[in-house]
Amino acid sequence: MSVWKYEKTRVMTQRMIGLAVIFVLMGCIIIGRLFYLQVLQGEKYLLLAEKNRISVRLTMPSRGTIYDRNGVKLAENAKTFQAVLIKEEARDYRQTLDRFLKLIPLDEDEVSRIQKELRWKRAFMPVRIKDNLSFDEMTLLQLNAPDLPGIQIEEGMMRFYPAGTGNTHVVGYVSLLTEKDVAGNTSDPLLDLPGYRIGRTGIESSMEAVLKGKPGVRKSEINAMGRTVRVLEETPPESGQDVFLTIDSRLQNYATRLMARYAASAVVINVRTGEILALVSTPSFDANLFTVPISVKNWNKLLHHKYRPLQNKVLSGLYSPGSIFKLVVGLAGLESGVITASSKVDCQGKTKLGNHLFHCWKKNGHGSMTLEQALMHSCDVYFYEMAQKIGADKIIETARKLGFGEALNVGLNSESSGLLPTSDWKLRRFNDAWRMGDTLNLSIGQGFLNATPLQIATAVARIAGGRNLHPTLLKSNVESSIEKIDFKEYYLKLIRSGMYDVVNRVGGTAYAVRINVDGQKMAGKTATTQVRRISLKEREEGVKSQDDLPEKYRDHAIFAAFAPTDKPKYAAVVLVEHGGGGSRTAAPLMKQLMQYVLELDKSDKKELKK
Amino acid sequence: MSFFKDRNCYLKDYNLSLTDKVLGFNYLYLLFICLVVVMGIGVLYSVGGGHFNPWASKQLFRFIVSLGVLYVIALSNLRFWMKYAYVIYAIGLILLVAVSVVGHVGMGAQRWLNLGFFNLQPSEIMKIALVLALARYFHGASLEEVRSLKFMIPPVLMMIIPVAFILEQPDLGTALMLVFAAGGIFYLMGVQIWKFVVLISAAALSMPLIWSFLHEYQKKRVLTFLNPESDPLGSGYHIAQSKITLGSGGVFGKGFLQGTQSRLNFIPEKQTDFILTVLSEEFGLIGALVLCLLYAAIIAYGFIIAHRCNNFFGKILALGLTINFALYVFINMSMVMGLMPVVGVPLPLMSYGGTAMLTLFIGFGLVECVFINREMVIGRRGSIDDE
Repeated sequence: MSVWKYEKTRVMTQRMIGLAVIFVLMGCIIIGRLFYLQVLQGEKYLLLAEKNRISVRLTMPSRGTIYDRNGVKLAENAKTFQAVLIKEEARDYRQTLDRFLKLIPLDEDEVSRIQKELRWKRAFMPVRIKDNLSFDEMTLLQLNAPDLPGIQIEEGMMRFYPAGTGNTHVVGYVSLLTEKDVAGNTSDPLLDLPGYRIGRTGIESSMEAVLKGKPGVRKSEINAMGRTVRVLEETPPESGQDVFLTIDSRLQNYATRLMARYAASAVVINVRTGEILALVSTPSFDANLFTVPISVKNWNKLLHHKYRPLQNKVLSGLYSPGSIFKLVVGLAGLESGVITASSKVDCQGKTKLGNHLFHCWKKNGHGSMTLEQALMHSCDVYFYEMAQKIGADKIIETARKLGFGEALNVGLNSESSGLLPTSDWKLRRFNDAWRMGDTLNLSIGQGFLNATPLQIATAVARIAGGRNLHPTLLKSNVESSIEKIDFKEYYLKLIRSGMYDVVNRVGGTAYAVRINVDGQKMAGKTATTQVRRISLKEREEGVKSQDDLPEKYRDHAIFAAFAPTDKPKYAAVVLVEHGGGGSRTAAPLMKQLMQYVLELDKSDKKELKK
Repeated sequence: MSFFKDRNCYLKDYNLSLTDKVLGFNYLYLLFICLVVVMGIGVLYSVGGGHFNPWASKQLFRFIVSLGVLYVIALSNLRFWMKYAYVIYAIGLILLVAVSVVGHVGMGAQRWLNLGFFNLQPSEIMKIALVLALARYFHGASLEEVRSLKFMIPPVLMMIIPVAFILEQPDLGTALMLVFAAGGIFYLMGVQIWKFVVLISAAALSMPLIWSFLHEYQKKRVLTFLNPESDPLGSGYHIAQSKITLGSGGVFGKGFLQGTQSRLNFIPEKQTDFILTVLSEEFGLIGALVLCLLYAAIIAYGFIIAHRCNNFFGKILALGLTINFALYVFINMSMVMGLMPVVGVPLPLMSYGGTAMLTLFIGFGLVECVFINREMVIGRRGSIDDE
C-alpha cells in the first residue's frame, strides 16, 4: 500500500472516531431530552393534553312557554343552529373570523358587534357569529371546518311569538344580551351562553326567573378544530317553567285591531276573580322583531312614533280619571252620610267658591239632581257641592280602597302607582296648603290626581263586583276566594244604578252605545279629561271645540263599563288619548269590545257544556 | 507487503457473481432499516385513526418498491457510480435549476418538479448526488492535497451551488443537511480543524446578512423557537403541542391507538415531520428509546461498513450517506422536541412521504453496494488497476 493511502486511511480512521464521538453526544442530547420531557415533565404534559382534549360547555335550557287562558301559545321556542367562535380554540381568531366572513358575509354592524364581543368576552366563552343558519350555510361551514378553527355550530333557541301583535305588551319580548347585561355577572352562567335571550319587557321580563331554566353542562372530547368527537358526560339543562296567563289572546287581538288607529288603552277584568282578560295598549308591534337583533331602522321607527308604541299605556300611562272619579266621590258621599239616595243638588251651571267660578260642563245647568241623575248626566255641580261637604280626606280614603294611588302588581314590571293627592303631599310637593279649590278639582277627577287605565278599571271592577279583587295576569296568582269590599252593598248598588242609567236611560251620556247581548246589558261612565283648556285668545280666534285644536292638545276620552248589569262579571276601561269626548270616541269602542267579551263568554260557556 | 500485493493481484479482476452479491448483503443492516420502516407503518396506522388508509397502506407500498430499488442498486457495480458520479451531480444541479424556473408550488415553497406521474424533488436527489461527487473527488486525494486550500475550492463550490438553489426554494432544512454532510466529509478527509473554526466564525459574523435573506416565515420560526411561549396560539403552537404530545406519553405511553393528542389532531403534520410525537405518545419513552437504538444501530453499521471497505470511494460514500442519515434523525428529533427551530425535516424511514423514502433506500442501496464490493480496488482515477 502506498504511503498516501496509508496516511489517508489513518487520518480517516481518526476522524471517524471523532465523528462517532460527536454522534454519541448528539444521541445523548436526544435521549436526555426525551427523558426530560417524558419522565421529568411527563405529568405536566399529560395534564396539558387532557386540558386540550376536554371541553366543558354549557347547554341552553329551553325557555318556558307562555300560554293564554285558553292554552294558546303566546311565546314558544324554536330550535335554530348558530355559529359561534371560541377564542381559546382558534389559533388566530381574527383570521378565523376573516375566513368566516369570506364564506358568509355579515353586515358591518354585526361584524363590529362580534369584534367587540371577542374583545371583552373571556377566551373560553363562545361568541355568537351568526344565528339561524340555513342548511346551505351549515354545509358550507362544515366543508370548510379545517380552515375555521374555533368555529362551532351549536344548537340555539329562538323565541317566537305566534299569537299576534295584540299580545306584545303583555307577553313582552326577549333580546340578546349586551355588554351591560353581562358586566359584573358571576352568578348566572346563563348569561355566558351565546345566543341567550333575556326577557326585556312584559311577562318575559317579570317572570324571567321562572321562565329561564338552568343550563346543562356537557363535557366532551374535542379535536384540535374544537369539534366535538364524543360526549363524555352530560348534565341535561333544566327547562324553564311554563307561565299561564289570564288573558284571552282573541280578545287581545280584537281590541288591538279595534283601536289600531289610536294611542289607546283597554283593560278587561273579571270582577269575580280579578283575572285580567285583556290588557291592550295601541299601537302595538311585532315582538318577533326583537329576537333577531332589531334593525336600527325598525328601532327608530318604534322609538320615534308619535303614539309611543313601546310604552304599555295601560300600566304606565298616567291620565286624569275625569268624570269617572265621580263614582268614587259618590261612594265617599254615601259612606260618610253626606249623600243619600234622595239628596238633591240644584245645578245652575256653576258653583261659586270665593271669587272663583267652577262651571258645569253644561252651561245652563242640569237643574235638580239626585246622585243617580248626577252620574247619568255627569253633572259637575252636584259633585262640586257634595265634595265640599264630604271633604278631601274621605274622598282620598275611598279612592285608595278602590285601588287608586298605588301599584296593583298585576305581574308586570314598570307599573306606575299614579297619584292620589293629599294635603301632606301638596305641602311637600308645592309647599302650599290644600285648598277647597283642590277638593273641587278632585271631585271631577281633575287637578293633581292621576291614574293608570288599569287603576280606573280596577276601581270599576271593585264597584261592579263588590269584591276587593286584585287584578292579575298570572293564573297562579288568581285568588280562590275574594273578600267583600268594605262598602255597603246598598251604596254600591246606587252607584251601579247611576252607571246603568248612563248607558241605558234616554239622556244618559252614553245612551248611544247601549247593548243587548241575549238580554245582557252594559253599564258605564264616560269621562273627557282635559289636556289643555281652550284659551281665551283661541276662543276669539274661532277655536270653539276640541276638534279645532291640534291633536296633541285634544282631550283624552275614557269610558269605563261593566256588564252584564244584573250580575256583573266583566269590568272594562277604554281610554283613547286625545280622542275628544268620552261618549263620542271611547264609548263606541267600548260597545264593540264589550259585545265581543260577552259573545266570547257565551261561546266559551257553550264549549264548556259540550 | 507481499500479503497486500497478493491480495491486490487477486482483486485485479474483482468480479462477483450475482449469487455472491445476494449472499454478500449485510442483512442485519437491512433488518434494522426494515424494522424502523415497519414501526413507522404501525404509527401511520395509528395516525390514520386505526386504518391502513390513507397513510399506512401507501407507505407499505412505497416501502416494497423502495426495497426493490435498494436491491437493484446494491447489486450494481460500484465502479458504475464512481464513473458517473459527476454526471449524476450535474443532472441533479440541472434539475434544481429547473425547479427554480418552472417549479411546482407546493407547501408555500418551490420544491417539486411535476413529471406527470410523479413529483420529482431535485433537492432529494442532490443529497445523494453531492455525496457521490465528493466521494469521487476525494477518492484519490492525498492528505497533502486535502490540506491545500486550492484543492478544496472545487468541493466547496460543489456544495455551495446546490445549497444556494435550495435556500432559494426555500428549504432551510435540506440546505443545512447538505452543508453538514459536505462539512462532515471534509472533516473525515482530514481538513484541518482550524479551517472549520475560521469558517464557522465567519458564518457567525455574517449572520445578520443571512438573516436579511431569510423569508419572513423562516424568521418567525427562528424567533418562536427562541421563545415559543411568546405566541402559544400562533407559530409557537406547533412546538408547544408537539412537546405536550411527547411529554404526555410518559414512560410507557398511552397505548397503541390511544394517543389523544394525535387522534384529535392537535399535532400538525403528524404523519410527516411530527411522527415521533405520535410514537412517543402511544409508546412512551420505551418506544422512543427502541427507535433511537435502531437508528444508532443503522448509523453504527454505516461506520462499520465504511471501516471495512477497502476503497476510498466506498468509504467516503458510505460515511457521507450515514452522516446524512444521522443528521436527518438528529435534526428532526431536535426540532420536534423543541431543541431546534421547526425547519421541515422529516424523520427518516418513519415519516410518510414517497420521495424521502425512495432517496433513503437509494442511499442504503449504495451503502449495501459498498459493503458487497468492500474488497474492490478502484484506481485513483477510477481505473480497475491500482496506481
